[in-house]
Amino acid sequence: MKEIIRRIASSIVLIIVVSFVTFFMLMLIPGDAVEISLGTEATPERVTELRAALGMDAPWYTQYMSWFTHALAGDFGVSFTYGENVTTLLLSRLPVTLSLMLMAIVIAVPLALTIGVIAALKQNKTFDIIARTLMQMGDAMPQFWIALIFLVYIAAQIEIFPISGFTPFSESVYGGVMSLFLPAVVLAFGMIATLIRIVRSSMLHSLKQDYMLMTRVSGVHPVRAIIKYPLRDALIAPLTVIGIQISGLISGVIVVESIFSLPGVGRLLFSAVLKRDLFLILGLVSFIVTSVIIITLITDILYILLNKKMRRNES
Amino acid sequence: MRKYLLILSIVLLLIPSTLGLVSLFYTPYPITQMDLGNRFSGMSTEHLLGTDQFGRDILSRLMVASRYALLLGTVSVTLGLFIGSLIGIISALSKKWISMIFLRFIDGMLAFPGIVLAMMFVVVFGDGIYSTLVAIAIFMIPIFARLTYSLIKEQQHALYIVAAKSIGLSTTRIVWRHYLPVILPRLVTQFSASIGSAILIESALSYLGLGVVPPNASFGLMLKEAQSFMLSYPYLILPSGILLVITVLGLNLMGDTLNDRLMKLGDTND
Amino acid sequence: MKTKIGVLFITLMFALVLSACGNGSDEAKELLNENKNTEAKDGLKIAISVDPDGLDPHRTTASSTFVITNNIYDTLVKVTKDGEIEPSLAASYEQSEDGKTLTFNLREDVQFHDGTALTAKDVAYSFERIKDELGPRKDNYAYITEVNVIDDYTIEFKAESPSASFISDFAYPWAAIVKDGADETLKKDPVGTGPYKLVNWTPQDKIVLEGVDHYNEGQIQNVEFKMMPDSTAQVTSFKKGDIHLIETTGDVVDTLGDATIIEIDNNSVQLMAMNLENDYLSNKKLRQAINMAVDKEELINAVWWGYGKQIGSHYPPVLKGYVDTTGTYPYDVKKAKALVEESGAKGITLNMKLPSDYPNYVAAGQIIAEKLEAIGIHVKIETIEWGTWLTDVYGNRDYDLTVVGHTGRIEGYDLLEKYNSTRSDNYFNYKNTEIDDLLSSIKVELDEERRMDMYEQVQTILAEEVPALYIQEPTRIYGISDDLEGFSAYPIDVFELKDLKFKE
Repeated sequence: MKEIIRRIASSIVLIIVVSFVTFFMLMLIPGDAVEISLGTEATPERVTELRAALGMDAPWYTQYMSWFTHALAGDFGVSFTYGENVTTLLLSRLPVTLSLMLMAIVIAVPLALTIGVIAALKQNKTFDIIARTLMQMGDAMPQFWIALIFLVYIAAQIEIFPISGFTPFSESVYGGVMSLFLPAVVLAFGMIATLIRIVRSSMLHSLKQDYMLMTRVSGVHPVRAIIKYPLRDALIAPLTVIGIQISGLISGVIVVESIFSLPGVGRLLFSAVLKRDLFLILGLVSFIVTSVIIITLITDILYILLNKKMRRNES
Repeated sequence: MRKYLLILSIVLLLIPSTLGLVSLFYTPYPITQMDLGNRFSGMSTEHLLGTDQFGRDILSRLMVASRYALLLGTVSVTLGLFIGSLIGIISALSKKWISMIFLRFIDGMLAFPGIVLAMMFVVVFGDGIYSTLVAIAIFMIPIFARLTYSLIKEQQHALYIVAAKSIGLSTTRIVWRHYLPVILPRLVTQFSASIGSAILIESALSYLGLGVVPPNASFGLMLKEAQSFMLSYPYLILPSGILLVITVLGLNLMGDTLNDRLMKLGDTND
Repeated sequence: MKTKIGVLFITLMFALVLSACGNGSDEAKELLNENKNTEAKDGLKIAISVDPDGLDPHRTTASSTFVITNNIYDTLVKVTKDGEIEPSLAASYEQSEDGKTLTFNLREDVQFHDGTALTAKDVAYSFERIKDELGPRKDNYAYITEVNVIDDYTIEFKAESPSASFISDFAYPWAAIVKDGADETLKKDPVGTGPYKLVNWTPQDKIVLEGVDHYNEGQIQNVEFKMMPDSTAQVTSFKKGDIHLIETTGDVVDTLGDATIIEIDNNSVQLMAMNLENDYLSNKKLRQAINMAVDKEELINAVWWGYGKQIGSHYPPVLKGYVDTTGTYPYDVKKAKALVEESGAKGITLNMKLPSDYPNYVAAGQIIAEKLEAIGIHVKIETIEWGTWLTDVYGNRDYDLTVVGHTGRIEGYDLLEKYNSTRSDNYFNYKNTEIDDLLSSIKVELDEERRMDMYEQVQTILAEEVPALYIQEPTRIYGISDDLEGFSAYPIDVFELKDLKFKE
């Protein structure tokens, strides 16, 4: 328990440090929102003047402190590009990205579990080899490549899959699912091979443990024995990599959202970086970092708890 | 059956490695040589894989791209491996509060959107392979750090470690003599698979305009250039795409078979 | 699928019931007709690839904004397709003898989208806003020293000196008239007098506009701009029939089938700028050599699929006063080599900074670099991201060569003024007193003929001195679905939605 509290406290410090580092780096790199917004249509003096008018000529630490104090009060500032509150923008995009990621997980995890478990049980048989090779192939393709092929050869031909855009679930559940299906499959491709590998090796590992021999000796039905121990282990094994998977998902999300024109958080972040929309970047980065840290925290705790419970069951 | 998988992965990997190696001495054409009168030519005896939008020879570019991919992948993952496992070892073996700081550092790196980071590097280091290299290494660091950390934690209470400690061996010595031999095989397995992901990360960065820059050649860049002609010259996405899949698939299968071997070894050791 | 059939069924039932009970009644027929009209001839969808930079015309320079806001706001005067000025919000206008005063008589029947009537006060406020410290175009309007509201529908602008671009400065979309007192929320809640009003804007997703009643001359009522960053996705959607209007590139034109293709000369220039601070590039001979080393036709074919018009100086052919200077340095590698030799630049290395956000400029840069290698000049290509480009190249002038484009204006002066040696946006570091003098005279010359004469001189000098390799005036290519008509683009990078109609 003490451990958990300490971890939460240090995570909060981490989030603050990350926001600070992000801010600092953005100050270091050339180009800012004003410069990009004016482009080649205005003189450099105008850029300097406008920067001053917007208070962007203040020393960076003053700017950071003012952002930070506002952020503590829940005000993440206004996006320079959209003139809209950062929180509002984020909240309007979140449903798209969350549904997309969730759907990718819903597609990938059951498939990975099934294939992984069967592959482990039939280790080195034809099924194992073929299934793994196929899945590895999916994993070996760049996501934008699959996405574009899907777009040109599936979405363009088949009426039910829209080429672009997102239908909110509040409008139509069917439409929402269809608008996210292809992008979600692309994302699922990217994580499925890793998941299979983990499930499979976890299964193989537990199958060889002493207690499996024990169950066989004590005459437990082999299927029951498998369900009882190795399968359980295999089911929670993916939890260990969820942090890595999610951070991988986020880069995939940017690519997929761009190709399928989905108005999600990934694309928002990407365009914010291109336009050096300072507050928007800070808000989004802080949010993403916070959520990934929370998810890792939860899965870590969950894993420890589940493991303990299991070990207890074993003895 | 497993043998076939290993053979398959070796065969697959031989393709880009041979192309890459040969490109050191010979390419059919210089990779930046343009022939604007002969753009988008299909396969011919002059250009075995045809030419691209500038009339450059696709085969020559692919050869150099293979070399870059393997080089970029290996170097960046090696970098990630070294820095990452160092961080992992330190955080696993040092005092509680230092360990806490390092662990949070890993968390932070893992959580930080890679794209923002990659962008910063491209902007700061300017163009070229180096910024891509560093960006990919940074993707890799937390992965290796976490892996090393958990591997060491697993072993920490093993009998031989406790014994080594009790006879007063220094921490460095324990790491060198006792931890490394145990965790190294696992790291090597991860290493092989990570090179595959490094090549994929490069291609995603290229799609977003943050990867290797023209007139260089990389799988990602060639694929990105080809995809803008996807509707007018769809076959252009095939050569670089297929070679990329072959390379990454080879690396992943290699990692897989190594992993299997390793588990078997571990079992016999027990 | 099921829901679709359901909707169809209900619509059918509804129609049947209506026609049954309303038999003979004109009202019902009309209702039915209207229903049919909105179903068959409404809902225009246009693809855009970049989000607008806010919807406040006074706070940005992004053309992605003006494409939208041009339909939401009006300007006092506007420019016709041929580049002539005609009245818009102003019913008429009058310029004084000395050219320093412009008086506009406003139309009295104009309303903002919220129902308030337009008066001279709104106009005065708008210009106050354009000229305040947050206005990116503040400098362009600094010469207007006085704005006087004469009465509710008359307003007078006074300039410190006569200006050639006085009247055209009121026609640009960034001189849009907003409501008196409008504040920074215009960025997301625009209120204008234009033919369309904003229904909603979901950044990076879509912008929905709706026709305003009193403009209703058969204009399409519902318009949706769909944000689609990937061009393959745009073309694919267009072919599938989800999108009615896209801007596209030369290579896909042939694949668009039945669609109407409209080509429009885009009032802008694309060039490879040279930094004259570089010791070698300050030598005119080397610049000439560079110009002779590149076959522009081949270049335009390779990068823009031949869609573009060659230029010889910083002046697009579509603009009034253009002279053809493309023949000044014809493609001649031999001569170019000799000139390089003469200028002592053989074997030097120049850096070329290319903006990675513009793939065409990167492509053109690569080709030019190849051509320069052929005449003995090494080029080190560096692709940098747009933000960095603006700081390094445009701001700090830290470069040797770069490829970029400049948007055109109605009056040539506004395009050319960056060649004035005192300007801070003269990133060529070009200094020529003759040009400086000519530009200052053009600025105050009201006689059109004499002005055009001087434009010709400027073009000839630039074409001869070549501080840049002038490439082309690009052609914009629009794909339009075959049931749509009336599309035309204006020489200031915008188009009018109200011109568009679905065919019967």
